[in-house]
Amino acid sequence: MLKILIVDDSLIIRKKITKLIEKLGHEVLYAAKNGQEAMDSYISKSPDLVTMDITMPDMDGITAVKNIIRGDAAAKIIMVTSHGQEDMVIKSIQAGAVGYMLKPITEDKLATAIGEVYTQYAVSQDEEDLELLEEEI
Amino acid sequence: MILDSLILQTKLFISEDMDIQIQNIEVLDNSPDKLVLKTNTSMIGTGGKLNLMLIISFDESLMNYLVDLFMEGEAVEEDEKEEIYDSVSGETINTIIGLALPTFPNRGKGVSITPPIAIHDVTTMKKHKNAKILSANVETEFGSLSVSVIGSEDVVK
Repeated sequence: MLKILIVDDSLIIRKKITKLIEKLGHEVLYAAKNGQEAMDSYISKSPDLVTMDITMPDMDGITAVKNIIRGDAAAKIIMVTSHGQEDMVIKSIQAGAVGYMLKPITEDKLATAIGEVYTQYAVSQDEEDLELLEEEI
Repeated sequence: MILDSLILQTKLFISEDMDIQIQNIEVLDNSPDKLVLKTNTSMIGTGGKLNLMLIISFDESLMNYLVDLFMEGEAVEEDEKEEIYDSVSGETINTIIGLALPTFPNRGKGVSITPPIAIHDVTTMKKHKNAKILSANVETEFGSLSVSVIGSEDVVK
């Protein structure tokens, strides 16, 4: 089970991602509202993974990534982004983020993103095929 | 044309993502001097190569329905209500603008966007000098929303 820090200035997104993370069997350590809170809670809670919104007031996601990576080069941060922010995704990856997800976030997208970072949680193609088959039946 | 892109992405978001039937879309013929806002409004500013204000304004009934969809039927606590409503309005405009951006001039390259801003206690926005307002009203089975662009005359087409 992973311990995850969520960072998003949108309450509805924090709620949604919390629900999805818990559905996948992981724990939400904290849901931060901006980059500054993200930095503070990263230090105090040492999450295994961070989901990070890009555009936020006070401190944006890219700056937060840079600051977190400066303190912990092994930090695993997945950006959460809307369409039209491709340039910012590239900057985030250059700053040290390990992946990204496009909104709207779904259980599948989250599971895949987590699996790419922590391969022990990777959803195999066989499992996906089995789920599809079960749905058809 | 920027308003056309916004209308298209609004249609797609409302009808396909939210599964809400659209009943009518009306583009205001003349550039109005002022924009009359509905109950819940969010705005995004664009900068860089394109300076605009993009506004989506929802009436109460449509907003209530969208919140219900986003919350997946979970009750909204009273102390979180304003923030939830602002969130839903903000996420909606963020999604629509994000998808519309590649269809803007120069495919949106060099255009930055602000985080969404929730507008409270404002009923109208009035243009000044050479600003131009373009607006469309979208009627759905659950209520209506307006999508508007405000910018200088040479940019807003």
